[in-house]
Amino acid sequence: MSQVFHDIEKKIIISLKDNPKQTPENLEKSTGLSSDQIRRGIEWLKLKELANVDESKSSIIRLGKNGKESLQKGLPERRLLDLLKTKSKLSDLQKELGPVFGPAMGLARKNNWVETTSDNVSLKSPPSVLPGEKTLKQIGEQKLDVNQLDSDDLSGLLRRPDFVVEEILKTKQISLTDSAKSLNLDNSSGGIDVEATVPATNVARTHPLKNTIDEIREIFVTLGFSEIYGNMTQSSFWNFDALFTPQDHPARELQDTFYLDGVSAKKIATPEQIKKVSESHKKNWRYQWDINEARKMVLRTHTTCVTIKHLAETKPDEARVFSLGRVFRNEKVSYKHLVEFNQIEGVVVGKDANLRNLMGIQREFYKRIGITKIKFWPTFFPYTEPSLQTMVYNERLGKWVELFGMGIFRPEVTKPLGITKPVLAWGGGIERIAMLKYGLDDVREFYNNNLNWLRSATKCQ
Amino acid sequence: MPVVELSYSSLQKLIGKASKKQIADSLPFLGLDIESEDKDLVRIEYSPNRPDYSTDFGIALGMQGLLGIKTGAIKLKIKKSKQYAISVKSDVTKVRPFVTGIVAKNGKIDDKTIKQLMVMQEDLHFGIGRKRKKSSIGIHDLDKIQFPLVYATSDRKYKFTPLNSTKELSIDEILKTTEVGKDYGDLLANSSKMPLILDANKKTISFPPIINAAVTTVTTKTKNLFVEVTGINKADAEDMLSVVATILQSAGFSLESVQISGAKNSSPKLAERKMIVDPLLINQTLGLNLNNSKIVSSLKKSRLDATLKGKNIVCVIPAYRFDIFGPMDLVEEVALGYGIQNLEPTMSPSQTLGQTNPISLQLKSLSQTMIGLGYLEALNSSLTSKRVLYEMANREPQTIISVRDSKSQEHTILRDSILPGLLENLSKNIHESYPQKLFETGTVFSSGNPVSEERCFSGISAHQDANFTEIKSVLQSALKTGFDIEIKTKTTEHPSFEKGHCADVVINNKTIGVIGEINSKIIENYKIRVPVVGFEISLSESILKYL
Repeated sequence: MSQVFHDIEKKIIISLKDNPKQTPENLEKSTGLSSDQIRRGIEWLKLKELANVDESKSSIIRLGKNGKESLQKGLPERRLLDLLKTKSKLSDLQKELGPVFGPAMGLARKNNWVETTSDNVSLKSPPSVLPGEKTLKQIGEQKLDVNQLDSDDLSGLLRRPDFVVEEILKTKQISLTDSAKSLNLDNSSGGIDVEATVPATNVARTHPLKNTIDEIREIFVTLGFSEIYGNMTQSSFWNFDALFTPQDHPARELQDTFYLDGVSAKKIATPEQIKKVSESHKKNWRYQWDINEARKMVLRTHTTCVTIKHLAETKPDEARVFSLGRVFRNEKVSYKHLVEFNQIEGVVVGKDANLRNLMGIQREFYKRIGITKIKFWPTFFPYTEPSLQTMVYNERLGKWVELFGMGIFRPEVTKPLGITKPVLAWGGGIERIAMLKYGLDDVREFYNNNLNWLRSATKCQ
Repeated sequence: MPVVELSYSSLQKLIGKASKKQIADSLPFLGLDIESEDKDLVRIEYSPNRPDYSTDFGIALGMQGLLGIKTGAIKLKIKKSKQYAISVKSDVTKVRPFVTGIVAKNGKIDDKTIKQLMVMQEDLHFGIGRKRKKSSIGIHDLDKIQFPLVYATSDRKYKFTPLNSTKELSIDEILKTTEVGKDYGDLLANSSKMPLILDANKKTISFPPIINAAVTTVTTKTKNLFVEVTGINKADAEDMLSVVATILQSAGFSLESVQISGAKNSSPKLAERKMIVDPLLINQTLGLNLNNSKIVSSLKKSRLDATLKGKNIVCVIPAYRFDIFGPMDLVEEVALGYGIQNLEPTMSPSQTLGQTNPISLQLKSLSQTMIGLGYLEALNSSLTSKRVLYEMANREPQTIISVRDSKSQEHTILRDSILPGLLENLSKNIHESYPQKLFETGTVFSSGNPVSEERCFSGISAHQDANFTEIKSVLQSALKTGFDIEIKTKTTEHPSFEKGHCADVVINNKTIGVIGEINSKIIENYKIRVPVVGFEISLSESILKYL
């Protein structure tokens, strides 16, 4: 514990060494410090385990309104007994005593100090000191601790309205602990307590999810990929049709996809692209392809629409491009589902591009984000063949979790768009990776903008 | 993806010569994800393109191939029979034009088999049947039916006793009162003609695609089955039938053909297809150097047949594998048969140089500048609500872009401004320490065709002494220091800002946004207890303009 003391602490310790048990009020007087300084000083010393604070409660008695009046004029029953020495007629007594006559008469009769006949009252043999008179005098103008009074004599007064008032008083007694008693204050300099806790300074920083996004973008660039951009609102043609998803496919339904209300794209693609894509659908899926379905605008459900559009426009023999951005799914928001999240999606185009290369790029990518325990499983996507998924081992959960999906674009996708070379494609949600990095179990945390978390989130992996 | 529950012990029985561990380890390499396990029970997620994997019979067939216990194509053995016939009347043409079917005899049906058949039926209905629209199946007790059958139509008053009922209902009543009637009645639209399958005694067998008749209910006493599939496309109906036939055969039934005729209908062939694939394509695509016999054996492990013809491989594909479109699908079958776990990842050297998009670079640079100015980065959804965007922010909606049928009330419209979201963030953080300074860059949307998407930048500062001068100074420094852009501010009015404390942000005589002290009424709306100042500008008109 720090051996550096503030002046306030020093003054309190010195005073307590002279006078070992003091109330804060006493300390104010003995040290000349303000009540606020004393309060803080005691708090500090308590934290350092140098001061004991004993709180005790005591009951304090003072006279109430009726008690004070009785102190001056005597208790109502005393006044009645005094009057009876000269008067005896009931109506006279009543007139003289006013409102206290009733209670006074009641008490006198109950204790057998008086005798009444039809309208006369006569004195019997009252005690020289009436109950309560002793206590009344003893308290007087003071406030006394209940322990200083005769409890029998007091109890009668306590039962009567506003004769005595009882207050509960909390008192603090400050004393030094044993270790404080042996302190030698001469050793401490006038320095500050450098070991004390201080308030946290809030740091301005990038959003944790943005950090992960930037990191992933960087990795893709260093692996030789160039970033392309595309719109978040897309025609169904590029989001679905161009990717060989039939128009009656369940994934295209309202309950999975956000359609823009009443918006239908005027221009979706070149006539050639539309013709070839629709032919591929008709031939392979055997249904009536409808251009109006392709015109429906959606919030993109994946970034693959951006990539395929780019490839259809540039028809490269060789390329490495990626697109990164928000995608949308009409799902119920939960700890593992958001309606809007980020996706990364990359493609390699080349005449010799093959599945093992695709797996190799994946392995390298994961290695660079710090994930080395991975395996590949076959899976299904409508627009790639063969298709794989990566499983990565989550140390914290102790299980394998699905991460990116990948595959080679089907000829049914590439041929109609004039893409002649194999296209390796893969992608997945960035939030999943960010959750691993920040040890989150609830994906909503990323978009809550909870300042406490934004200011303090730290990477765990 | 659909999920199905299976038991290891019954899989083991069906596969033969495989341990539980071997099965569990191999499931993922068939493309099946293990969702959860509980002792003998295992829940498996399978791909919608493989409906045969919805039963343990189908999975056993695949697993036998993968483990090399039984390989090669599964041949359907269908005994030609003249006993069973369906004649189709032309009045069904406009309602549900095609019917097909098969008979399966002498099988053992226990509760588990019935349950599995029902699961398969539902998954087929949902997936390739497109919720019964394209095709739907009815499975019946053969011995309760007198052949030949007629596929014809009747009117909506026609009555029969449907499955799970004890009294006769009219078709109209079925459509209005039963669950399936309500769910699938739309498929028959407003047609006055309703499709029915009747037997030789005019007894109703089925009302496709809605419900079977009670009389043909399959129970554990059933020995022989009649399966019918109806649909709007002959090929789709036969595809569906081929899956059911394959599964029933592997469940121990012997199959017999059903003759179908009339109104462009014909008996199903359920024939194998031949497809040629070049070994070069296989090796190039997979990055391997497999010899032909290895390719053939890999295809056989995927339960296809393959023979060498010249330098090509001729593949025989059973009818139920209609997920195979072309040679590339066969490449995948080779990969699966070869084993994905045997593919060693390789890196081919990049022939290209990577490049970050200049927009990303500028956004990152802006972000860094704002952090230097003490502002914390926030991220909000593009999809938001009218409450946040307009009501709370006291803004008048211009043209709103809504999404249809959102499951979340908080996500119904696309944002046309970032600032209201930041105010909402402050509102949710009133208990956190001040000053609170946030910024966000993101896309805002405005209606048009195509929809316009613009990148915007907004910042906000909330604390006891927040004022116009402070926020103008921040925006000015951010743009000057970060991008050498000079801004001017000109008096304006804006519903979100306090009158007389609000300005247009102007660059080169062009207004690119707004800045000021947030209106006290709005601060109250958000229950914020300190003054707030903020701005929002278009990046396409400022920083990104120069790209």
